[in-house]
Amino acid sequence: MPEIRLTAVTFSYPGNVAVFNPPGVSLDLRSGTIALVGENGAGKTTLTKLLNGLLRPAAGSLVVAGEPVADRSVAQMAGVVGYAFQNPDDQLFERNVYDEVAFGPRAMKRPGDRVKAAVERALELCALTAEARTHPHDLGLPDRKWITIASALAVEPPVLVLDEPTLGQDWTARQRLKTLIRSIAAEDRLVLMVTHDMDFVAEACETTVVLTHGTVRYNGATARAFDDLAMIEDAGLDLPATTRLGVALGFTPPPVGDAAFIERYRATRG
Amino acid sequence: MTPALLMEGVRFRYPETTPYVLDGIDLTVARGEWLGVVGPTNAGKSTLCYAAMGLATEFFNGALTGRITVLGTDIRKEKVIERSRRVGMLFQNPFTQISGARERVDEEVAFGPENHGLAPELVAERVKESLERVGLSGVAERHPLDLSGGQLQRLALASLLAMHPQMLLLDEPTSQLDPVGTRDLFGVLNHLHQGGVTIVMVEQKLDAVAELCDRVVAMAAGRVIGIGQPEAVFNDIAVQDSAGAPSYTRLARTVGVKPPWPVTFDAAVRALHA
Amino acid sequence: MPRGLSIYAEGTSALHRAHPFTKGAITLVSVALAFIVPSLPWVLGLAAILLALLAWARVLARFVPIAVGILLPITLLLLIVQGFANPANRTVLIALGPFSLYVEGMRVGLLAAARIFDLVSATFLFSFTTRPADFAESLMQHGLSPRFGYIIQSALQIIPQSLEQADRIREAQQARGLETTGPLLRRARAYIPLLLPLVLSSLVATQERAMALEVRGFGLPVHRYSRIVLPDSGAQRLLRWALAALVPIAIAARFLGWR
Repeated sequence: MPEIRLTAVTFSYPGNVAVFNPPGVSLDLRSGTIALVGENGAGKTTLTKLLNGLLRPAAGSLVVAGEPVADRSVAQMAGVVGYAFQNPDDQLFERNVYDEVAFGPRAMKRPGDRVKAAVERALELCALTAEARTHPHDLGLPDRKWITIASALAVEPPVLVLDEPTLGQDWTARQRLKTLIRSIAAEDRLVLMVTHDMDFVAEACETTVVLTHGTVRYNGATARAFDDLAMIEDAGLDLPATTRLGVALGFTPPPVGDAAFIERYRATRG
Repeated sequence: MTPALLMEGVRFRYPETTPYVLDGIDLTVARGEWLGVVGPTNAGKSTLCYAAMGLATEFFNGALTGRITVLGTDIRKEKVIERSRRVGMLFQNPFTQISGARERVDEEVAFGPENHGLAPELVAERVKESLERVGLSGVAERHPLDLSGGQLQRLALASLLAMHPQMLLLDEPTSQLDPVGTRDLFGVLNHLHQGGVTIVMVEQKLDAVAELCDRVVAMAAGRVIGIGQPEAVFNDIAVQDSAGAPSYTRLARTVGVKPPWPVTFDAAVRALHA
Repeated sequence: MPRGLSIYAEGTSALHRAHPFTKGAITLVSVALAFIVPSLPWVLGLAAILLALLAWARVLARFVPIAVGILLPITLLLLIVQGFANPANRTVLIALGPFSLYVEGMRVGLLAAARIFDLVSATFLFSFTTRPADFAESLMQHGLSPRFGYIIQSALQIIPQSLEQADRIREAQQARGLETTGPLLRRARAYIPLLLPLVLSSLVATQERAMALEVRGFGLPVHRYSRIVLPDSGAQRLLRWALAALVPIAIAARFLGWR
């Protein structure tokens, strides 16, 4: 049973800025780690905001983790879709990291011990346990970004949406993010990442959805997403470093990710 | 010729804090050099730039020991606004670097030179030239807030270039930009470097640092843990464990290529073909 | 991105090209006179002049929605309130069942509405024909400190940017489960999570902007030339003085019995 199902969804912003034209977008996504990629203006953020009801489609239906989005308010969907927005300063306001992360589950009136357990787990996954009593604005921007991720996790949602989580993060943080989304996915939950970071997609996301001008050009295994290089170029996407190197060395189909590259390399060496 | 930037035994703390964010830095940056500054978050990279600009002491009021000499002048002998004629600094956030007081891109670029009291004809010349250098001549009449993040970052750079700085300090200039914006900005910086501008650039995109920079300094916990050409620094295991490495270096190492590992794309293709 | 609070309308009319101080004088004097001149015919006469100026500047069409959207409801409100309830009411104009609209009250209401009309149209005349940057520049060319000029100029951009951010904050907090509709207490509790991020971000942004200004030499004690040339003339200066003189003349006339 797909966690996310879009059926013939159309949408345009006021002023006739059409994003998803008729016949509309249809998309099935199952649990796992999913990258949503495409040029600016392709509709990535619009799509994610349709998932939790911040935007409402003109036509078509969305079902997320069994919930029909049309019949739910945004606050109701908050327990289903944990959303970490791109700019952490658009949401931070509590006096310490713990309370900030606990805001979501508390707003949903969850029992105290459940909130405590969820918050502590979220802090640990985001390496923020030591900063639980720190004022969010005493931390740098990359760490403030992690607070929003922890905040979305603390709600224990079946679907986690991350908007550009790798921007400005260092090597260790990227590894931590990879581990985090894999452990969430391993619990039969869905992680959807909007990103331009193709290297991270290659390493961490099993599935890739390519959007161009409001149309889904590809929805499938990341390992095969770069087979059609013309489509990738048309979609305005960069190649992951491994793929770029693999193509230069003549590997076909192009390998995606370190493991695939190493396997192909060793195979050609005999 | 005196170095562009000289740091001798520099230690720095922000006010009302105990840890030293810069904990004994010795650094010489030659004129015309493009130095990449890499390292994990909170290594002190941004503070290094703030210290070189004079903001760390003057704006943040932190405690500095040791000596910093910028283009031959001691940091304490000149105010930031005076230094701004010879040194430009670009920050991470494209949206908070525009003055907010100008309604046209060309007027925004003129802001800096006007503040410096340059005559109107000279300002007009500088504006035209700077917009060309960053590739924004086509949008000279637009409102700054109509521009994308990448364009805004180039606009901020243009407004610094209008003062003909000898050195640029860049604090993660592409960290909030998409790939197109990143490429455009690096393209402009490359041109400037070829024109002789000294560049000190903090960056997390190590692939780009390896391709573009003459030298790299790796920092961790306020100290320098490696300095030299990209090939040398990124082959250092201690640096790799702390700051990471360019993708190609990591790949080459994992497939079992013998060190020294390549740090750029072209070098990786050669090394792996062999 | 939102561009700014300015409602400046591009144009080449004489008013557009006039010095900001001249337009400022027209506006300020009109507003003063609107409240000093004693009776309706004079106030309406002033309104006619202002409408003519708006037409001359080719911005009358822009003013119509404001007139309809703001001034019309105000006028109706004043006519009705004064028409019903003014204590000096004697003569019935229209009888509506148990309630009547009186002539005296409606005259008072009409006068008040006409004065407000003059105030609003004079202000919009200025805003339509003057770039805020030019206005701040003209003040700075006559001695206003560049810091104050900057405050004026930047407020116009920063306010809409903040409003846009307020929207993003609302979305982010709603997506975390914040209820922003429903009973008063629930909505009141939503204020802190909606307002505080805006305040805190403004502090962060202010620090970043301040540094960006420093590295662009803002505040150097040098003579600032300006690329913005604001043509002035002897004729305009004379006009400004003449207009300014109208105010004490009108006040004196009132004293001496002008009705």
